[in-house]
Amino acid sequence: MVIDTHIHPALFAPICQNEEHFAFRCNEMNYHLMKPSDIELIKKQLGLAKIEKVFLLPEDCSYEKGKAAISNEEIAALVSAEPDLFIGFAAVDPRNDDAQAQLEDAFSRLGLAGLKLNTAKLKIFPYDEKIKKLCEVCSRYHKPVIFHSGLCLEEDAFARYARVADFEEPVAHFPDVNFCLAHFGWPWVQETAALLIKYSNLYANTALMNFDGPVQLYHKVFKEDMGAYWVEHNLADKIMFGSDSPRIRPARSKKGLDALGLSADVLEKVYYKNALKFLGQEE
Amino acid sequence: MDCRIKELSVIADAETQLIKITEDVKRVVENCGISNGVAFVITLHTTTGITINESLPCVEKDIEEQLERLIPSDYPFHHNHYLPSYGTIGGNAPGHLKSLLTGNHCVLPVIDGKVKLGEAADIYFCEYDGIKKRRYMVYCMGEA
Repeated sequence: MVIDTHIHPALFAPICQNEEHFAFRCNEMNYHLMKPSDIELIKKQLGLAKIEKVFLLPEDCSYEKGKAAISNEEIAALVSAEPDLFIGFAAVDPRNDDAQAQLEDAFSRLGLAGLKLNTAKLKIFPYDEKIKKLCEVCSRYHKPVIFHSGLCLEEDAFARYARVADFEEPVAHFPDVNFCLAHFGWPWVQETAALLIKYSNLYANTALMNFDGPVQLYHKVFKEDMGAYWVEHNLADKIMFGSDSPRIRPARSKKGLDALGLSADVLEKVYYKNALKFLGQEE
Repeated sequence: MDCRIKELSVIADAETQLIKITEDVKRVVENCGISNGVAFVITLHTTTGITINESLPCVEKDIEEQLERLIPSDYPFHHNHYLPSYGTIGGNAPGHLKSLLTGNHCVLPVIDGKVKLGEAADIYFCEYDGIKKRRYMVYCMGEA
C-alpha cells in the first residue's frame, strides 16, 4: 500500500465547477495552463503508483483574500464521495476571530482528519499565539497538524514565515499532537532532520519538488544534503511519502524515492506505515 | 474536394502505452462520407504519437523497450526544472522526445469509402506521458 500525504485537489473536477472560483484558486496557488480532471482519471493516475489513500489538503487565506482557495466544505464533499480513498484535512485562517470555532466545526461536523496550515501564505509565524490556539483545538480533538515548511511556490507567500527552526515551539508545546513538516522544510532539510531526531511527535513528508527531476532531487536531498545513512538508520520512522501533486504527478515522485535504494522495510514505513502512525491508526 | 474532421479521445492504462485505434479510425472514415481521397490521423498533443506497425505483443514490447533504451526516463533532461508558466516541474521530457520518433500523424488512402491498410498494419495512438485524457483527429479529404 502507498499513502500520499500531500495532494492539493485544486484540479479535481467536482470542485472546479465555478469558473471564477477555479481561476481565483489557480492564481492563488500558482497552478497554470492545467485543466480539471475527473475523479475516475485521478484514480487511474493514483493507481499507477499503487496509491490507495490520499491526504487532501485545503488552503484558507480568507482573512486577506475573502475566501478559501480550497475550502473545508469542498474537501469534505470529495471525501464523502470517495471515503475509502480520501482523508480530508481542514484549513482555517488563524487571523479570523472565529478560527477556533471553524476548526472545531471542521472536526465535529465535517469529520476532517487534521489541520493543514501554510504560515508562509498566511504571513504569520509558527510560534504566534493564534497558531497555538488552533493547536489547542487539535490537542483536544486528538488531530494531527501538517505545516507547510520551507519555500512556498505560491503567489504572495514568504519563506521567512516557514523557517524550519520556528516550528520547534508548537511541536514542543504540544507533545500529544503529531506534527508534519511538509516539503521536508526544503531548503532547510538539515534543520528538519535535526528536529525529527529530537521530537517523537514530529514527522516530515517528501513533497519537495523544486529542482531537476525526482530521481536527481531526492538523491541530492536524501543522499547528499543529508548523510547517506540518515534516512535508513535515523529517520526511517519519521518520513512520509507525499507528492505535492499537482506540481508533479505522484507516480513520478514515487519513482524518485524508489531509486534511492532504501531497504524494503524502510520503504514500507515511508510509503504508508508512518502515515498511519501520524494519523494515530498504527497497524 | 470535400473535407471532414472528427475528434476522438483515448485514455491509457499506463504512463507509456501503444493503444490500437485501427477500428476506431476505420469506423470514422467509413461514416464520414468521403469515397476516395486520403485520411490523416493526427494527435493533438506533443507528448504522444501516431504510428503504424504490426499488432503483435512482442513487437509492441520491443518498440516500447527500445524507446526506453534510447530515451531513459531518469536521464537529467534540460526540461526537468520548475516551470513558472505552469507552476509545476517539467517531468515529461521523455514524452516529448519519444513523440519525435513516432511523429504526430499517419496518412492513409481512402478507397471506395474504406481506409486502405497493409495486411499486418495497425494504427496506434502512442501515449508517452500518461495517464491523461487525450484527443486525436481523423481528417479526411477527397471526393464525397
